[in-house]
Amino acid sequence: MGAYVIRRLLWLPVLLLIVSFSTFALARYGPGDPVAVIAGQVRDPVVLAQIRADRGFDRPIPEQYLMWLNRAIRGDLGESYLQRGFSVSELIFPKMWISAQLGMVALIIVFAVGIPLGLLAARLAGTWLDPMIIGTLLFLQAIPVLVVIPPLTWLFAVKLQWLPVGGWDGIFALYWIAGVIAIPIPNPHLYIPLVAFTLPGFVGVARLVRVTALEVNLEDYVRTARSKGLSEAAVQFRHVLPNALLPLITVVGFALAGIIEGAFFVETLMGINGIGRLTFEAVTSRDYDVILATTVVFAAAFVICNLIAELIYGVVDPRVRLGSSRS
Amino acid sequence: MTSATMDTAETHPEQMGDSEWRIVWRRLRRKRLAMASLVVIGIIYAMGIFAPLLAPYSYTQQNLDIPRQGPSRQHLLGTDTLGRDMLSRTMFSARTTLIVTTAVVLSGSLVIGNGLGLLSGYRGGWVDALIMRVGDVFSSLPGLVMLILINATLGTRVIEAVRGFERTTGITGLVASGLPSYLLVFSALSLFFWVGTARIIRAQILQLRERDFITSAEALGATPYRVIRYHLLPNVAFLIILQVSATLGGIAGSEIVLTWFGVGVQPPAASFGAMLFEGSGPRTFQQSPHLLLVPGGVVTLLLFAFNLLGDALNDAVRGR
Amino acid sequence: MRQNRMLAILLGVLSTLVLIVGGLSASLLLTGKGGTSGTNSSRSDTGSGATAASGRIRIPGTDPSTMDPHLASDSTSAEYIVEIFSGLVTIGPPPKLDLQLDLAKSVEISPDGKTYTFVLRDNATFHDGRKVTADDVKWSIERAASKQLASPTAMSYLSDIVGMPEYFQGKAQNIAGIEVVDPSTIRFKIDSPKPYFLAKLSYPTSFVVDRKQVEANPRNWTRKPNGTGPYMLTEWRLGERIALTAYDKFYLGTPKLKEAVYLISGGSALTRFENNELDIAPLSINDIDRARDPGQALSKLYSSSPQFSISYIAFNSKLPPFDDPAVRRAMGMAIDRKKISDVTFKGMLAPASGIMMPGLPGYTPEVKTLQFDPNAAKAELAKSKYGTGPGKIPFPTITMTEAGGGASAGIDTQAYIEQWKTVLGLNIEIKQLDFATFIADQQSKKLQMFSAGWVMDYPDPEDVMDLKFYSTSSLNEQSYSNPAVDKLLDAARSEKDTNQRLDLYRQAEKLIIADAPWLPLYYSLAHQVVSPSVKGWFEPPMVLPRLRFVEVTR
Repeated sequence: MGAYVIRRLLWLPVLLLIVSFSTFALARYGPGDPVAVIAGQVRDPVVLAQIRADRGFDRPIPEQYLMWLNRAIRGDLGESYLQRGFSVSELIFPKMWISAQLGMVALIIVFAVGIPLGLLAARLAGTWLDPMIIGTLLFLQAIPVLVVIPPLTWLFAVKLQWLPVGGWDGIFALYWIAGVIAIPIPNPHLYIPLVAFTLPGFVGVARLVRVTALEVNLEDYVRTARSKGLSEAAVQFRHVLPNALLPLITVVGFALAGIIEGAFFVETLMGINGIGRLTFEAVTSRDYDVILATTVVFAAAFVICNLIAELIYGVVDPRVRLGSSRS
Repeated sequence: MTSATMDTAETHPEQMGDSEWRIVWRRLRRKRLAMASLVVIGIIYAMGIFAPLLAPYSYTQQNLDIPRQGPSRQHLLGTDTLGRDMLSRTMFSARTTLIVTTAVVLSGSLVIGNGLGLLSGYRGGWVDALIMRVGDVFSSLPGLVMLILINATLGTRVIEAVRGFERTTGITGLVASGLPSYLLVFSALSLFFWVGTARIIRAQILQLRERDFITSAEALGATPYRVIRYHLLPNVAFLIILQVSATLGGIAGSEIVLTWFGVGVQPPAASFGAMLFEGSGPRTFQQSPHLLLVPGGVVTLLLFAFNLLGDALNDAVRGR
Repeated sequence: MRQNRMLAILLGVLSTLVLIVGGLSASLLLTGKGGTSGTNSSRSDTGSGATAASGRIRIPGTDPSTMDPHLASDSTSAEYIVEIFSGLVTIGPPPKLDLQLDLAKSVEISPDGKTYTFVLRDNATFHDGRKVTADDVKWSIERAASKQLASPTAMSYLSDIVGMPEYFQGKAQNIAGIEVVDPSTIRFKIDSPKPYFLAKLSYPTSFVVDRKQVEANPRNWTRKPNGTGPYMLTEWRLGERIALTAYDKFYLGTPKLKEAVYLISGGSALTRFENNELDIAPLSINDIDRARDPGQALSKLYSSSPQFSISYIAFNSKLPPFDDPAVRRAMGMAIDRKKISDVTFKGMLAPASGIMMPGLPGYTPEVKTLQFDPNAAKAELAKSKYGTGPGKIPFPTITMTEAGGGASAGIDTQAYIEQWKTVLGLNIEIKQLDFATFIADQQSKKLQMFSAGWVMDYPDPEDVMDLKFYSTSSLNEQSYSNPAVDKLLDAARSEKDTNQRLDLYRQAEKLIIADAPWLPLYYSLAHQVVSPSVKGWFEPPMVLPRLRFVEVTR
């Protein structure tokens, strides 16, 4: 297995090279010019030429790429054109952290809600409640995030005024009791974004848990446990749940991908300055270095997450032989 | 939009001939939800196909005297900001969805995905390695970012190319029909939607190759074409259908999302993405909820139907 | 069952990690600023008593692209820069918009109008207390005009100074036309008498920066700039907030307002305003009905103010079919701007009556632009050389380009397209480009027709008339050329009598509108609600320093 991990890790830089080069080429060969964006409405050709020369935009694209690569290897991801005076790392990592926090909470909620629902559905298998649970979750998955957010915001923020309209203010907020004691509570800013994030995710988790739980429920040791008079909760918790969790590891990657993509709308619609919103702005204004950095970081995170998921799976389930995909 | 392809990956359909198709169909027929989904999809797609005939108004016809009106006898689903008939726009948006999903399924899933999957599984060796590594690259790219990037950067290039084509051939109206943006949206989507299909097909082919009937066919000197056409293809057909049904929702959703971001189908062509964009915003929702609810409802219904159908098909093929 | 125990352990580790991360961010929050959640009980904390709650204003903001006055070319950046930095002169609040002395206490203009001598205020200091000298002014302007900095605004604002173009191209060691007479006196020589030169000097390109700070840290100095303006940048958290604090030794007296906080993240500004999270809120199209409804309390806080900005559709006079003015005019008469504004913008924009906007010297209220008249439009089109009849050239494909990020960005455009189709029978394609591509194409003058906007940089008609319509101007993106217009603009450039000068611009405006290289669409209006506790706030037609006039009573 060590060899397999090493092989996968060696593949990572190759992959990042390919990803960065194709992004680079796409951004530069495409029309549009970040210099014209930063120059404002009065655009003097001499100035534009000077800026291009300073940034190296006047050189051949492969050469520009090598220049970028050379800097990137040393940890310098370049400078944003839209946020001058700030390096790309300074710009993207705090925003990534915001999105990551939101994503982590969303992921936890997806699992925390999805798993019990899956177990419940499996227990109710054969009754009409089982398909109803799964059907409802499937329906929730089908509602586009774009459609979920406006009514929620209208209802809870505009009409009832229970929640703030959006923005980002950390995961926790302080709830003041009589203005003296402060207890941290989940920040109300997060409620609507989290609902939007998690609704489409439940079904995947619940369905997978349900399938495994159905199989486990038929296993001898579970039947034995039941016949021994163990309470249902104990059976579920001790025997069914651990087995049902195993395949879930494989969907963590999928769930993450969904959350990353959801970030684009949720952040745009809810006024959260996270990485999704930044990436979209960078793409439309050709902020080359930011585009590159975000895609490369996204790709790396994606690959590493999947590798970790595979490794955990390999550790907990020795039947899975990593690397023997053939045959 | 990533679609969960996990379930289908685990299926191991037995060898199937014509009669098996009939069995699966019979199983599917018994599932009422699946049939309902088929009907819903059918209605929405029919709306798309016959939009020019069915729509009470042109989707561009404006009436600035009656903007943002709720449903009425003249406009069954109300009007939008420019006083255009929402029902007609919904129908033409369904047409866009229809065109994009069909084109992407045909090109991305069926042709590229299957072709490469078959090739990869059958030939093996460096061909297999190359295809799978290219697949790895695509599947590790953040799909939506790349789609937005591709559409934003190459949009003008494609339009110019099509315009050049018009000039050299004398054909007109291609650009005006919105073809370039359709072309771009679907080719960009195809780029990302072939990988799943190819992987599953390859895995299945690898298994089948070890089977007796293939080895004996090869031993008897059957050409690769014969082996693929008569022995391998029929055996992966169900997988292909499962895979297609699993990706349909993702493809339809992606087009909507791209258009919502302004890099998909261009106005005045109708798209659910553009309609949703107009209706989003809590205050707009407060004042004219139909702007969001009409397209939102249709999209939800369509995606839900795709989900249910995919599920039911999966069950039917697995013998449930 | 062993693997299950393993899994349980792994899950345990995971949940511990989650707890740690959660606890960490909670404690960070505890030690950092007070929570500003939407719950009632926590709102009492937002005053953060220590920093003189009575003098604090909360404004919705956006991250500036730079805090460097010499590089900024966008109004977002300028809004912060004009508070933190200052220059020799500035422009006073509307409606007068008069030129006022700022860092300078006096200015003397030579009789030939080519030499300007400024004397600096004795009490003008940087935020660190150092006195501002004439050398600082010279160094700052030479920095702004240097080749290395490649400032996008240098040529437009400073090129009138003798020797500046040579210096900008790297052909001179310094700007010949700037002379330091003594530590508090500086003299500028300009190439010809230009009545608008002082107005140009009010722009951030001529603001004073601290040489020592810039040279010590050329890349990051803007994070805590040592400016000369009434406010100091005390906090800048990207994507979250920017805080400006009054500089108590400001040369015009300590500002009354202690602190201005710009909140960068968040949803609808109006809702936050109503939740008392903001003191000012610009109104969007979704809010406007409510704010204008006299029955609503909100309407008493509502105001709208003209902006020095105009939107227009431009036709490239070199590309068919717009090489024929009749086509341009016909299209101008085929669109009903008033109605389209009322429907698509709920009347938030005012149909333009000309090119020069309200409040700008030279503006006249009477309507000069082409008005909606379907029959006249058809008749005009019939006069053109394009069409289907005998001897007519068939219409080429017409594409209208616009910049747009969202799917329905061109909702008004779609309305024009439909009117051109129904009134004139012209099928016009819309092409939406992302902003970067749009301005690149616009600049290369290859767009057949496009919709765009122009924002005034300084309150002088020269800034739009000369820049956009002079035949050889690089910003004349519609390839417009009319020798009569050029002659009028040439004359206006050096005319010293203000009234005569403005009259020349009015004549040029009439000629231009008759030629219709532009269809002026709308003048912008800013719509906002302002909390009653804020006094002295104004929405200027262009970016101007204003915090120094503001007071908050709470």
